[in-house]
Amino acid sequence: MRVALYVTCLVDLMRPSIGFATLRLLETAGCDVVVPSGQTCCGQPAWSAGNRAVAIDLAKKAIAELEGFEAVVIPSGSCADQIRTVYPQLLADDPAWADRARQVAERAWELTQFLADVLKVDAVPGTFAGSVTYHDSCKGLRSLGIKQQPRRLLQQVRGLSLAEMSECEECCGFGGAFSVKFGDVSTRIVDRKCESIAAAQADAVVGGDLGCLLNIEGRLRRRGDETTRVLHVAEVLAGGSGE
Amino acid sequence: MSAAAKHSQAMFFRARAGEKVTNPVLQRALKKAKPLFVGKRAKGVAALAEDGLDFEALRSTAENIRNRVLADLDVWLEIFEERATARGAEVLWARDGEEASRLVVEIAQRHGVTKATKSKSMLSEEAHLNAALEAAGVRPVETDLGEYIVQLAGEAPSHIIAPAVHKTIEEIEALFAKEHGRPAVPRTSDDIPAMTREAREVLRQHFLTAEMGITGANFLIAETGTAALVTNEGNGRMVTTLPRIHVVVTGIEKILPTLEDFATLMRVLPRSATGQSISNYVSLLTGTRAPAETEGPEKTIFILVDNGRAKLLGSAYQDMLRCIRCGACMNHCPVYFSLGGHAYGWVYPGPMGSVLTPLYTGIENALDLPHASTGCNQCGSVCPVRIPLPKLMHRLREDQLELGLRPQRERWAFRLWGWLARQPRLYRWLVRRAAGYLRWLADDSGRIRILGLAPGWTVGRDLPAPAGKTFHELYAARKRH
Repeated sequence: MRVALYVTCLVDLMRPSIGFATLRLLETAGCDVVVPSGQTCCGQPAWSAGNRAVAIDLAKKAIAELEGFEAVVIPSGSCADQIRTVYPQLLADDPAWADRARQVAERAWELTQFLADVLKVDAVPGTFAGSVTYHDSCKGLRSLGIKQQPRRLLQQVRGLSLAEMSECEECCGFGGAFSVKFGDVSTRIVDRKCESIAAAQADAVVGGDLGCLLNIEGRLRRRGDETTRVLHVAEVLAGGSGE
Repeated sequence: MSAAAKHSQAMFFRARAGEKVTNPVLQRALKKAKPLFVGKRAKGVAALAEDGLDFEALRSTAENIRNRVLADLDVWLEIFEERATARGAEVLWARDGEEASRLVVEIAQRHGVTKATKSKSMLSEEAHLNAALEAAGVRPVETDLGEYIVQLAGEAPSHIIAPAVHKTIEEIEALFAKEHGRPAVPRTSDDIPAMTREAREVLRQHFLTAEMGITGANFLIAETGTAALVTNEGNGRMVTTLPRIHVVVTGIEKILPTLEDFATLMRVLPRSATGQSISNYVSLLTGTRAPAETEGPEKTIFILVDNGRAKLLGSAYQDMLRCIRCGACMNHCPVYFSLGGHAYGWVYPGPMGSVLTPLYTGIENALDLPHASTGCNQCGSVCPVRIPLPKLMHRLREDQLELGLRPQRERWAFRLWGWLARQPRLYRWLVRRAAGYLRWLADDSGRIRILGLAPGWTVGRDLPAPAGKTFHELYAARKRH
């Protein structure tokens, strides 16, 4: 299957290892992976700020470079949601783009959704000696319905045990620009998440969205937790390249 | 500035939020309350499933009923007026809160009222009714326990169904001791029954002496001209049956066509609010006391208030009028439970407030509220009438931009960034520079402790620094080899 990898701007800038882990997972599963070279940002920050015009510009750009693939895979629930859910809404009234937006949307998948639901993989390369607790990111969970997919995949990682935290579906307080605009409120929210993580006593907290993970890791370290690792699900599933 | 906007403190949201997150007493109260609300609702919904009923299907039915009402609101209101009048009640209309207050004061003066007991009316908060009554020499006494507490404390409710949720039991004990006088038999602050008994004794005197009772209505039922009240403390019955006059002050959107519809909504309202399958009291109040009857008011007057509602009909925000005031959105909101309700600055807190406050008091008077959300949609997924709250907040952000209410530099920043993101080569170069810069900012442990570009981030968090090279840079290098 010819698959486009859309790495997201946060992974590109902050943690390229997630991009390579995703690449490895897709290639191991037998995909012919292309990284479209012109990709930049899906436009979600503009859309969240209420800037429809800029969001539409970037949606069109992304659609043009992502159409023609059998699937587009994104290691982020919130960016995947932007392409899957928001693009068709943004362009619904534009006859030249509505159809193209819908077609790309139908083929755009968040990574774990793609691996578990589309490819139905039953073996992953990663190994992990220890327990992990999974944080469900909001867009992935409540908009895309991602809940069991990452857990099913994590259970295939040799040596890994899953220790669910309480309130794993609670927002971590990231919310994109919210985390900067209302830094103190955001900190208060992520504090609660950190308490749940600590209570789960896992070796690592794992999630599917780098934004949430930076927020959680940043707060854990500021609180003095130097040991709990904070990993993207791709890094754990792929092993090796994530280290 | 509208009358409602005059009383709004929503423009101080950011400053107040800063105070609230660092208030240890408030944080203690909130921490205790949240799991109760969330847990009770979850249990209530689960119990429904055990009875073979599908809560999701009920939500859709409730949503449809509310949509049907809003599609012909004028017609249902006229039917309500006709039926209520036929049963001996009087129906008055108020364009805004000020007019509603003026009407209540006039009624009180016409009937020589010196004291009015009150229950269950957020609209009277919108109308600043208590202040208007006091100015006219009428003493308003709140009788819902939580509302009574905040009235004693000289505060506003911080939650629509648990007005005193921001207070700890120790604060309430101290307040009672101060206002009621120390009890003859000493009580500890844990002794909630003793404190409740004490409030009950004080309130009893008011119930017996008030000439007028003022309530809101959870619903107005058109086919019978009935006001429905959903309560847990029993005081609502005292307020609506003991005084000579009963005034119902409520919003025009509270209509339901039939009793059957009411039965459906009652399946989702108490469960969403408190997790109860049904509230302790459900009162259906129709007309006045008939000649042969021994109880009930001699006069029932409905004051149906617009205060910004009608203009939402047919707008992008009409969905918000479905709201049945259960409080589930705030009960599941991470932002609400970090701050409590007072930070929001007007009558309605939480997600519903972040939508209603700008709509009812003016979008320019509540600029922060539509942004005070992580977009997590925990509110939208529990709303019993499926109001897409994050979508409406998002729409308000768009409106702010269209109306020129966003800072000029933010607009230019997005325009510039949008342009850059369409120049991949330049964009990549900039991202590489950014990665290098962030790497340079980091300390030896790979963390950034202070980020000048986004200081909001580092007030409470470090930023794990990037590796220094971007994905695309590394990927291109790998492909060359």
